[in-house]
Amino acid sequence: MAARFWLRWSWRDLRERWLQVVVIALTIGLGTGTYAGLGSTSVWRRDANDASYAALHMFDLRVRLAPGAFAAAGRLADLVGRVDHAGAIESAEERLILPTGVDASGASSDALTILVPGRIVGVPVGNGLPRVGAFDVRAGHGLTGADAGEAVGLPEYHFAEHYGLPPEGAIRLSGGARLDYVGQVLTPEYFLVTTERGGLMAEANFAAVFVPLDTAQALSGHAGQVNDLVLTLAGGADRAVVQGEIERALATEAPGLGATVETREDDQAYHVLYQDIEGDQQFWNLFAALILAGATLAAFNLTSRIVEAQRREIGIAMGLGLPGTAIAVRPLLVGAQIALLGIVFGVAVGLLIGEAMRRLLEELVPLPAWSAPFQPRVFAEGAALGFFLPFAATIYPVWRALRVAPVEAIRTGYLAARGGGLASVARRWRLPGNTFGRMPFRNVLRTPRRTLLTALGIAAAATVLVGTAGMLDSFFVTIDRGEAEVLRGAPDRLTVDLDGFAPAERAVALVREPGVVDEVEPALRVGGTLVSGGTELDVSIELLDLAGGFWRPTVTQGDATGGSGGIIVAEKAARDLGVRVGDEVTVRHPRRVGEAGFETVEDRLVVAGLHANPLRFLAFMDLGSAGLMGLAGAANVVYVTPAPGVSTDEVKRALFAQPGVASVQPVGSTARVFRDLIDDFLGILGIVQLAVVGLALLIAFNSASISADERARENATMFAFGVPVRTVLRMAVVEGLVIGLIGTVVGLGLGRIVLQWLVDVLLPGTIPDITVSIALSAETFAKAFGMGVVAVGLAPLLTARRLMRMDVPSTLRVVE
Amino acid sequence: MIELERVARHYRLGAMTVKALDGVDLRVAPGEFVVVLGPSGSGKTTLLNLIGALDTPSDGRIRVAGRELTGASRGELARFRRGTVSFIFQTFNLFPGLTALENVQFGADVTGKRRARELAAEVLEQVGLGLRMGHFPNALSGGEQQRVAIARALATRNPVLLADEPTGELDFRTGVAILELLRTQADGERTVLVVTHNREISRAADRVVELSSGRVVADGPPRAGRAPIAELHW
Repeated sequence: MAARFWLRWSWRDLRERWLQVVVIALTIGLGTGTYAGLGSTSVWRRDANDASYAALHMFDLRVRLAPGAFAAAGRLADLVGRVDHAGAIESAEERLILPTGVDASGASSDALTILVPGRIVGVPVGNGLPRVGAFDVRAGHGLTGADAGEAVGLPEYHFAEHYGLPPEGAIRLSGGARLDYVGQVLTPEYFLVTTERGGLMAEANFAAVFVPLDTAQALSGHAGQVNDLVLTLAGGADRAVVQGEIERALATEAPGLGATVETREDDQAYHVLYQDIEGDQQFWNLFAALILAGATLAAFNLTSRIVEAQRREIGIAMGLGLPGTAIAVRPLLVGAQIALLGIVFGVAVGLLIGEAMRRLLEELVPLPAWSAPFQPRVFAEGAALGFFLPFAATIYPVWRALRVAPVEAIRTGYLAARGGGLASVARRWRLPGNTFGRMPFRNVLRTPRRTLLTALGIAAAATVLVGTAGMLDSFFVTIDRGEAEVLRGAPDRLTVDLDGFAPAERAVALVREPGVVDEVEPALRVGGTLVSGGTELDVSIELLDLAGGFWRPTVTQGDATGGSGGIIVAEKAARDLGVRVGDEVTVRHPRRVGEAGFETVEDRLVVAGLHANPLRFLAFMDLGSAGLMGLAGAANVVYVTPAPGVSTDEVKRALFAQPGVASVQPVGSTARVFRDLIDDFLGILGIVQLAVVGLALLIAFNSASISADERARENATMFAFGVPVRTVLRMAVVEGLVIGLIGTVVGLGLGRIVLQWLVDVLLPGTIPDITVSIALSAETFAKAFGMGVVAVGLAPLLTARRLMRMDVPSTLRVVE
Repeated sequence: MIELERVARHYRLGAMTVKALDGVDLRVAPGEFVVVLGPSGSGKTTLLNLIGALDTPSDGRIRVAGRELTGASRGELARFRRGTVSFIFQTFNLFPGLTALENVQFGADVTGKRRARELAAEVLEQVGLGLRMGHFPNALSGGEQQRVAIARALATRNPVLLADEPTGELDFRTGVAILELLRTQADGERTVLVVTHNREISRAADRVVELSSGRVVADGPPRAGRAPIAELHW
């Protein structure tokens, strides 16, 4: 027979069940589209990063001087200009970067108190400068040569946008200096705002302010000095060679500066933006694959049920002597067309999800260049599965139908009379109640394949929901744990960061002077690296009075006082380094040389204890060990508690005005940074959860709808016996609840396994600095049950109208 | 027990009006075993559906067991079916997820009988399936399935039993046995109405109502008198 004949007939089949067909196609579309959308993020992000870093000339190499070390302006540029491969250097710009506190309260139209730590970044201006790490002006205008030496600056865009600052205004810096700002800028080193305390996306708690180099020098009292150099290399230059030459030149010509030469990969924002891509993609891939699996299982199930309903017509065709291959054409065409329609929907869903993801990513990480073009290769992967599985779903029932003798296939009641699935297993289970109470459970068991496939579809959706929500639960529990640890004992403690090292007595006097603090404890904080067995971990070492200070870390193992010259590290750090309490570890740290110079040295220290903070980069030593760093009797941090009757804000304001104070922050602010970070991700996870809930609802609706069709004769029989519609619906709801419950419980189990995998395998690669504690909140359980059980259970109610309008006599006569 | 007065049932088929029943008058007394006979399309199933309140007449009045069906609401009709009539179908329409006993118990449960399970077991014993109670429909022969369907109808204890071609799917021997079973159900309290196109079956009835083109063309005892079921053959 002509292909057109079969095609036309298959179209009629599709039209007859158009609603179910559309819903199945939407299910496939949701699966393939979500797969394409989530699977494309790595390409989008990498392209956006590459284009953005190229557009603003991210540095290739950066020379940083040790904290407190300065060089005369021009000296660093001169030094790098004399290395052998100086010709490979395209641009070199000196900068002066200093910690400060930023008070933007006056600029805010919401009368907010905005007092955050930050840094002044002095850069060359005018004539297209800065060229290295150029500005993408997001509001107002940039700096010109005329601004040199003026109290004019540009706050970093993320910070300004977070607090809704107007394009122009005024801010104050530590010590009370006023700075007019004329715009807001994005620049490569701050595409992602990071802090030295491990904060990512820390715009709420960190403000970089770009000013002309002369202005920075005047504001900080470092006239004619710089402490930073950034340079870009010409295309094709060997970066490692140039880096080596600069390192050697610095070591021989300026050993007292404690200078390090970094590559762009060492930049924390750059590192995170690129390194996260693959880790995040694995995360999205997992959920995309689960959603696709759920969608294809559902489509497989539903399509095969549609084709199965044609069994009698297949029998008639067999009876008429049509060859099996010809008989198979029509149902296969039905399956193929549903799958194709699903793929068409998938393109639309993929584009929608892509656009939603692009908007969220752009909001999350504003970059000068962002686009999210449809990725045909990723979509083709999903579409291949999305097409093949539903299509395969038609092959199975057709094959089964062709194996039955025509007389059996044609016989009325054949389907009803054939095997009862697992119902016989439950024969001896005496369920309480009457037959109406028993029938839903028997129906679940009677069709184990259908039950299993529907439940697995729901399970896949629940797995994704539990996996994503569980991630958030785990993060929040971890943050709470960290917060509880730092707030323990002295919850109103504040950290006062000084803009350099100062004698401890002077630091204490400085913070006591305004008369707003009660307890005061000087401390030191220096960056360092723990080295053991080839593993290196960057840490922030805090030197505190571990014996008598008003806050000490909780030590889970070992000596809480740090022993004599020992170091207390995080449990995860010890695990990653492969050391235990009592073992020795190499600590690479700065040591002061003279008044302003630093050198990097290595010491072997005993691991005196392990602390309970989930942040791996925190390490503690007793202040008595400060001599190791050449910092005995010095402090760059002071911990304080407010005096009775003085608020935290009052302390912040009073100390902010003190010269030498860079910032004042409550100790819980790190937790706030992480909370803000997670809040930023809620939108993206929201898209995934929306797709998942949509998938579950589609599965539930179509399953209920097809079940109502398949059970039409049973329902009609019940109506013939006078069973009310509400009783029939109640049975369908109970059946849905049982299937939904099975799916949800399986999904919860699988979700917990997925969460374990994410935390144990994926997160250590993407956020190695945090020990994430696995947790599932009651809300997550409620969400999963709400979606899996309630939605699936209530879906049969959507068939109420059809049941009420059923033509009972006709349905009783209709053969399946 | 059953009273039909000038009952008509018309269907619209495109521009055409099909008169499935056209002015049927019928009275059936309690305890009668009536066979409604007619060829395909004569209106016999429509008649059964109207008496069973599965359908509503286009015209005329229907009273069954003292209840007026004409103009009754959907809920009232459902209550009527629950408490007055029970159906036996050509294709049995058993619930495949329930055992034979549970299928019968369904009949008792529908009507809110106490000790429904015991009642169902008793009825199954009556129809000769005491040893097949725990079997699912797919494990029963056609005759056994129809016996279960009859038992399900009997378990309702409703006064009117309506059977639509109850032997249509069965072989001769089984069909005879089923007919015998139905025949014995018609007693002082219960009326049995069997619809068939098989004239041989009508020989076993007390009364045969013959339909043609939606009208009653004959109503009375079988032409050759009531025959013992053992003498039937088809």
